[in-house]
Amino acid sequence: MADWRAPLMSAVCYLDPKAAIAWLEGAFGFEVSMLIEDGEGNLAHSEMRFGDAVVMIGNEWSADHKSPKSIGGKNTQTVHIQIVTDLDAHCERARAAGAEILVEPATQFYGDRTYRCRDPEGHIWTVAQTVETVTREQAEQASGLKITGWV
Amino acid sequence: MDRPTFVPAVFYKDPIAALKWLERAFGFEISSLVTDAEGRLAHSEMTFRGGALNVGGEWEGAIVGAARMRSPATVEGVNTQFVRIHLDDGLDAHCERARAAGAQITDEPSDQFYGSRTYRVVDPEGHVWNFSQDVRVVTGEEMEKATGLKVHTSLVEAGHG
Repeated sequence: MADWRAPLMSAVCYLDPKAAIAWLEGAFGFEVSMLIEDGEGNLAHSEMRFGDAVVMIGNEWSADHKSPKSIGGKNTQTVHIQIVTDLDAHCERARAAGAEILVEPATQFYGDRTYRCRDPEGHIWTVAQTVETVTREQAEQASGLKITGWV
Repeated sequence: MDRPTFVPAVFYKDPIAALKWLERAFGFEISSLVTDAEGRLAHSEMTFRGGALNVGGEWEGAIVGAARMRSPATVEGVNTQFVRIHLDDGLDAHCERARAAGAQITDEPSDQFYGSRTYRVVDPEGHVWNFSQDVRVVTGEEMEKATGLKVHTSLVEAGHG
């Protein structure tokens, strides 16, 4: 496979993965790079690319793999999206596509500007852009937390 | 190192135990650890071969609305997402290391029709991890022939545009 693949890739489960793919294209600008279907047009596997990164979009392929929509809005994992420009515009695009913006864009004590949203099936996505360089001491002072391994 | 574009966040009932287990079983390395005054984990980041992930506790609150961040152990083993990890080499040895650490191997290492050798493992709280190593190059046509599936590169091409 191509060498642009990130070493870690999230696979995200949806009740309606094709609707999810269309939504993720519109809201976040992800692009379909692979789509595998069976003879009836059911999605077997898909991958979406965003910059140099890939996320897999799948169905509820076993009893142990469910959309948050099927289990009362619970998430066992989420995806953090790190972008390099225009975080506020990214948020407006997501909002226009119907994302529920849970936390509006705001600059955090650790130097990232972030927003958080929920997609139509209840997956939570956090989007962040580094806007300020903050030292470990500054971040510890601002938050009251103890931080190890700040880079 | 630039932060990867996508960083999975993985939730555990006991995130400190999870950090230790992921180190031992998979060779992930703790790169950042944030604790409050009582020593509880507030945030952590682990890295592995250029990738990164966050390990955290179960949580909820106004900033996630109606959502609840839960370990699979709390929701009868269900996963709403899982992580696939690409290895350049050493897949079988990696599996043995995980097994020795007590990992439950649900799919033993085997070659897949799409050209990868993979194994699947469930960690002590029920998160599913899929490790994958490329062993040969397979074209879309070969894949279609081997499986009867249709391989596309866009929704439009698949007739859903």
